[in-house]
Amino acid sequence: MSAYVVGMDLGSTSAECVVIDERREIVATAVVETGTVSRKGLQRAIDEAFGEAGIERDLVRAVAATGYGRRLVPGGADFVFTEISAHARGVAALFPGVRLVVDIGGQDTKAIQVDEAGRVERFAMNDRCASGTGRFYEGLAHALETDIESLGEFASRGKADLEISSLCATFAVTEVIALLAKGHDPADIAASVHHAAAARTLGLIGQVGKASPVALTGGVARNAAVVHSLSEALGEELLIPENPQITGAYGAALLAAESLDGGSQPDQNATAPAPPHDHGGSGSCADCAGSKTESSVTMLTLTAPSGRVV
Amino acid sequence: MASLLEDKSNRLRMTGRGGELVGAYWDELFTARERGAQVVWYNGHALNPLFQAAGISWCHGEAFSARLAAQHLEGPAQLAGEEYGYVNELCSYSRTHLGCAVLTNDFGESETGIVDTVDQRELASRLPEPDFFVNGYQGCSTGQQWDQMSYRILGKKVPIFTLSLPYMFGSKPDAGYLVGEEWETATDYVVDQLEKLIEFLEVQTGRPFDHDKLGEIMSYIKAASQLRREAMALCMAKPAPATYWDWVASIAHINFMPAEQRLIDYFQGVKDEVADRLASGVAGVADERYRLYFDGIMNWNKLGWLARKFADADAAVICGRYTHQNFWQEPQLIDPENPLRGLAQHYLLCSNSQGFKTLKQAMTKDCDDYGIDGVIFHASRTCRAYTNHQHLLARVAENQLGIPTAFFEGDIADAAFYKDEILETRLAALLETIDAKRARN
Ligand code: SF4
Repeated sequence: MSAYVVGMDLGSTSAECVVIDERREIVATAVVETGTVSRKGLQRAIDEAFGEAGIERDLVRAVAATGYGRRLVPGGADFVFTEISAHARGVAALFPGVRLVVDIGGQDTKAIQVDEAGRVERFAMNDRCASGTGRFYEGLAHALETDIESLGEFASRGKADLEISSLCATFAVTEVIALLAKGHDPADIAASVHHAAAARTLGLIGQVGKASPVALTGGVARNAAVVHSLSEALGEELLIPENPQITGAYGAALLAAESLDGGSQPDQNATAPAPPHDHGGSGSCADCAGSKTESSVTMLTLTAPSGRVV
Repeated sequence: MASLLEDKSNRLRMTGRGGELVGAYWDELFTARERGAQVVWYNGHALNPLFQAAGISWCHGEAFSARLAAQHLEGPAQLAGEEYGYVNELCSYSRTHLGCAVLTNDFGESETGIVDTVDQRELASRLPEPDFFVNGYQGCSTGQQWDQMSYRILGKKVPIFTLSLPYMFGSKPDAGYLVGEEWETATDYVVDQLEKLIEFLEVQTGRPFDHDKLGEIMSYIKAASQLRREAMALCMAKPAPATYWDWVASIAHINFMPAEQRLIDYFQGVKDEVADRLASGVAGVADERYRLYFDGIMNWNKLGWLARKFADADAAVICGRYTHQNFWQEPQLIDPENPLRGLAQHYLLCSNSQGFKTLKQAMTKDCDDYGIDGVIFHASRTCRAYTNHQHLLARVAENQLGIPTAFFEGDIADAAFYKDEILETRLAALLETIDAKRARN
């Protein structure tokens, strides 16, 4: 019996794939850094997710796509959703009752207010300015001669709050270089840029109106300093999914499943897959290999100073 | 960029006829010098009735920039403007038109260096040099300085008249739409300004101004505008027989074309076609599922593209601030016996010159009258004046009217500031939000 729905999110810097079962539970995820929108990257994400879950492709009921590359899905998608709706739905499923989703991806920031059912009530996106997005932090990491994975921890060490006047992804780097030339501590610079970017995100949130609880998703939610700065700016704790990059793909899969079932509840009598278990970020699991029904989830453990990891 | 498989937009046939009229108008203007006519370059409000009455050929700078952009011929003029020294953040209407001034003045190959391909610059450089300038802009400092810049480009040799027009803050206690002390005082003030402009025109032409002719011109404009408004009102029907893009296409006619019987005939044709469609159930968008309001100045590079794009998503853009709150929109104010007052009041009514209170009232009314489901805001990169109140208006739509909104970035006449993917995502999300709202209800 066709059992699975696949959600894919092909963003500006990464591709995500999520497979859900009849109970609409996640059975596999994959996140592939692509560098840019790429069909190959998406294919790799699909292969990884299917490989991990050990499911056969003919058991797939529908494929749903979201993200910039949503039309690049190999073979075409059965459903296409915007990132706005997909993220809202995914986050609402992970955190029932959430009312505001802030998604910071490779080159977009979105503030989405959702209703109690996880439907979009209003949304705002950054314009073409990439300030505060993944690309922006990549530039910052480069200028500070650190890597993107260490940037958050690095910024968390900063104490001073330096004035950062430009948050343009290009000019901010110029400004960082000028501050370095003046002899400022790189950690202070990193912390200050994070604060300034959080203030900017606050402006975007202001466009839709603040609502609680707030969830932060997207690749940038892995950056502990971003979580901390935004949490401080908002004056509340943020909900962070354990894997903040997959919410779009997960939401797309859920929306597709709901469309197929006419908005009905999941089939609770369906064969329950084994509970997801942690691969410890290794991306492979001997227990899962070769099994069609057993599930696997690749979850990264994230500890954020002001975020609640769920 | 996504490709559109099917053109589901159903633009009015009269648009084609309208295009011929506009083309003929410009062709005639290009030969003004040969015909011995005087030429005025002007910007801002529709001062053309005064020029027509004075027997002068007129070139509206914004209109010419929009025309170049709509024909994708703006590049050479914009390059010339930039090379002359105007950065690309400057309003692209003015940048294009200033580039035309550079080309018209024939700084030419040797000085601009870049814009030296004759066939490319042909249209931009065909504008006849002005005998004088008139500026009539309010609500935007770029607009007010634009003709001053052209004046400098042309060596400060050409006379210039600047009409002073107040901004309608709407903050006096009795201020309201078409009423209150501010409205009356401002009207008197602008009438006085127009009388001074007429004196200036008399000096420039060496002839007494023909007030009777002005009255006759205004009676044509009044009749044409009435027909246009009536045709627009027919689009309150669901599905709408015509769309915003049809009204955009007729801006040129109502805003700067010569006022004569032909103008009335044109708008009669538009109204008849809309009425016919209504009677036979023909819609402006094949499968109208969403009715949208468009706030923002037009993106002229993308007129046809946007019409198809929205239609492709079953979204009928029905009305908008640019088309419905500008351009002789209150024809009852026009009195051919006393034309200056109606002229003055329409200059004050330009939505670019209105405070938030009036804009909010007008948007609310249009959304209500036309049964609007969502508002799409075009945030034009280089025309900041038109984006001033957009976030406030979005808040009104969302919080007070319960209508979802979305923004997309673009520009009036610089295609580089438009990214199709941005509109595509925002539009799809807006429509999904409308669906979600319908599901909730
Ligand atoms: S910025 Fe906008 S309002 Fe100002 S002159 Fe340019 S087009 Fe007109």
